Amino acid sequence: MGRIVLENVTKSFGETEVIPPLNLTIEDGEFAVFVGPSGCGKSTLLRLIAGLEDCTSGAIKIDGNDVTKVPPSKRGLAMVFQSYALYPHMTVRKNIAFPLRMAGMDQSDIDARVDQAAKVLNLDAYLDRKPGQLSGGQRQRVAIGRAIVREPAAFLFDEPLSNLDAALRVGMRMEISELHNKLETTMIYVTHDQVEAMTMANKIVVLQAGVIEQVGSPLELYRTPRNKFVAGFIGSPKMNFIEGDAAQKLGAHSVGIRPEHIDVVEANGQWQGTVGVAEHLGSDTFFHIHNTGLAETLTVRAIGDISLTHGDTIHLNPRADEMHRFGADGLRIA
Amino acid sequence: MANRTIPRLLQTPAVLLLLFWMLVPLSMTLFFSFIRYVLNNLRRPEWTSPSIDNWRGFGNYEYVWNQDAFWLAIQNSLLIVCSILFLTVALGIAVAVLINRSFPGRGMVRVLLISPFFVMPAVNAVLWINMLLDPVLGLQGIAVDAINTTIAGLKDAPLVGWFFSLWPQFEPISFRATQTSAYAVIMMVTWQWTPFAILIFMTSLQSEDQQQKEAAVLDGAGAWSQFRFLTLPHLGRPIAIVVMIQAIFHLSLYAEIEIVSRGNGNKNLPYYIGELVNNNIGAASATGIFAVILANIVAIFLLRMIGKTLME
Ligand SMILES: Nc1ncnc2c1ncn2[C@@H]1O[C@H](COP(=O)(O)OP(=O)(O)OP(=O)(O)O)[C@@H](O)[C@H]1O
Ligand SMILES: [Mg+2]
Repeated sequence: MGRIVLENVTKSFGETEVIPPLNLTIEDGEFAVFVGPSGCGKSTLLRLIAGLEDCTSGAIKIDGNDVTKVPPSKRGLAMVFQSYALYPHMTVRKNIAFPLRMAGMDQSDIDARVDQAAKVLNLDAYLDRKPGQLSGGQRQRVAIGRAIVREPAAFLFDEPLSNLDAALRVGMRMEISELHNKLETTMIYVTHDQVEAMTMANKIVVLQAGVIEQVGSPLELYRTPRNKFVAGFIGSPKMNFIEGDAAQKLGAHSVGIRPEHIDVVEANGQWQGTVGVAEHLGSDTFFHIHNTGLAETLTVRAIGDISLTHGDTIHLNPRADEMHRFGADGLRIA
Repeated sequence: MANRTIPRLLQTPAVLLLLFWMLVPLSMTLFFSFIRYVLNNLRRPEWTSPSIDNWRGFGNYEYVWNQDAFWLAIQNSLLIVCSILFLTVALGIAVAVLINRSFPGRGMVRVLLISPFFVMPAVNAVLWINMLLDPVLGLQGIAVDAINTTIAGLKDAPLVGWFFSLWPQFEPISFRATQTSAYAVIMMVTWQWTPFAILIFMTSLQSEDQQQKEAAVLDGAGAWSQFRFLTLPHLGRPIAIVVMIQAIFHLSLYAEIEIVSRGNGNKNLPYYIGELVNNNIGAASATGIFAVILANIVAIFLLRMIGKTLME
């Protein structure tokens, strides 16, 4: 079980309020991802839940019990840190066993659980090594192993993959998702990488300056972003924004359209411009287009390889039903 | 091979200097330890100059080996060095951990804590033995006297007087005496060298990973477990450094021994050598070689012990 509820939680460091009153519910078994730009308070929020920081006000409930004043070790949560935070003087086996040893469990039970965790995470061969003798990905798995042996009510991850290289990151992303499917335990995952958020989450929480901008499933956020911030943050490449007169003509203060929702046509397009940079990936082509009279640059994603290059004129047709309209306050107009 | 010549050539000055620095005194000591060599002998004037003709083989070693004073000196050396090592490391860790958290005036406290290290050893010894430990005029004498006077006063008090009349009269301890002078030396050197340990441990503690601590907190480790399983192993190497350096320094303690007891108290090995040097250079050299061997044994033993217990 692991249903986590935050009620009017706030956090201030001295005079600066990092988290204004915040309400959030994470259901049991959910994979929730906190995303937002650097410094928006994601880690702080996670540390509040873990109990590593005290709430300035408000309450945190786990499975209905108020744990606001409960020390971190008694909350039944396990955390995986960005720097792994393995104990450098202990072998992998002792690292994974540490929380069980602290709980005073029998040695035979400890061994059984450690072996099982090692099997799940493919760490069997490394149990007698020290963390210094492992690769980044292996260290990350040890850190996860140390978390799962405790059988916690929920896992907390603070940017666990940001120290890994791109290829390994994709692999570990899958492993963590699979682990979630297997354990069906609540997981809260902090990242500033929206791709991780989109691929892993059941529920994404978009934060800006400590304020929740929107909560929803990845596709909800993609299809109906509540405001311009979420619209710009979710999706890659970023959504195009059209402002000013051009937007007025389309009936809003500003209009957003995703690069994949603009079609490239041979001639007589509704819009046209000159290609600045064309990125040919084979499967897709990304065009950065100038002189459209709509925005500084317009990014367009075309399927397949289209042989337009720098300086060529390009014709475009936006899909009208995929346009997002926002008012002067930045909020979505239904 | 040719391309090795220049590096070798460039190394030679350093190597020669080292040879000169270490090998010359060591080989002279070795040489003297195998010959009869005294500063003053009216019957055998030929013994007063170091010459291979006065070869004595292992005679000096045998002579020293059979002296009770030699074994007492070794015992005292070990007692003094080991006690100082234990106390400085224990106090150093305790104080370093305490001042590692932030509190008002921390900078000032740190400077004050380090300051004993800058006092000259001889001055330190004079201050301790005369001003603090003297049984009459020192702080010890005054304190014991004050306690005795207070108890004497309380003996006449109503109700609790009977309790205090059970108390004995306290006697101040004379730290210049044979049995106790080693304790005085241990105290003063510990006072002087604890700052060194604090300094080394403090820098090491500052490089301790805070996320590891937080992970340990979440893993259910209390303050003691965090100290035992994270901080202490983290301090393993600095402890080894502190122990090694101090072992080297304190095996050769001399000024403190001299000032505390002027040869009437517990003598350590260097002091014993110093006394022999007054006349019998041969025996003194043999003792010196014993001291070198002892130092090596102590160093190896200590390193092993620390390596085993802390690195898990
Ligand atoms: N101990 C602290 N004392 C004072 N301010 C802090 C403290 N910890 C964090 N802050 C401030 O709180 C804000 C949020 O920090 P936080 O670490 O939660 O950001 P984040 O969203 O995790 O960013 P990142 O993606 O870079 O990790 C930042 O402005 C930071 O400066
Ligand atoms: Mg962070």
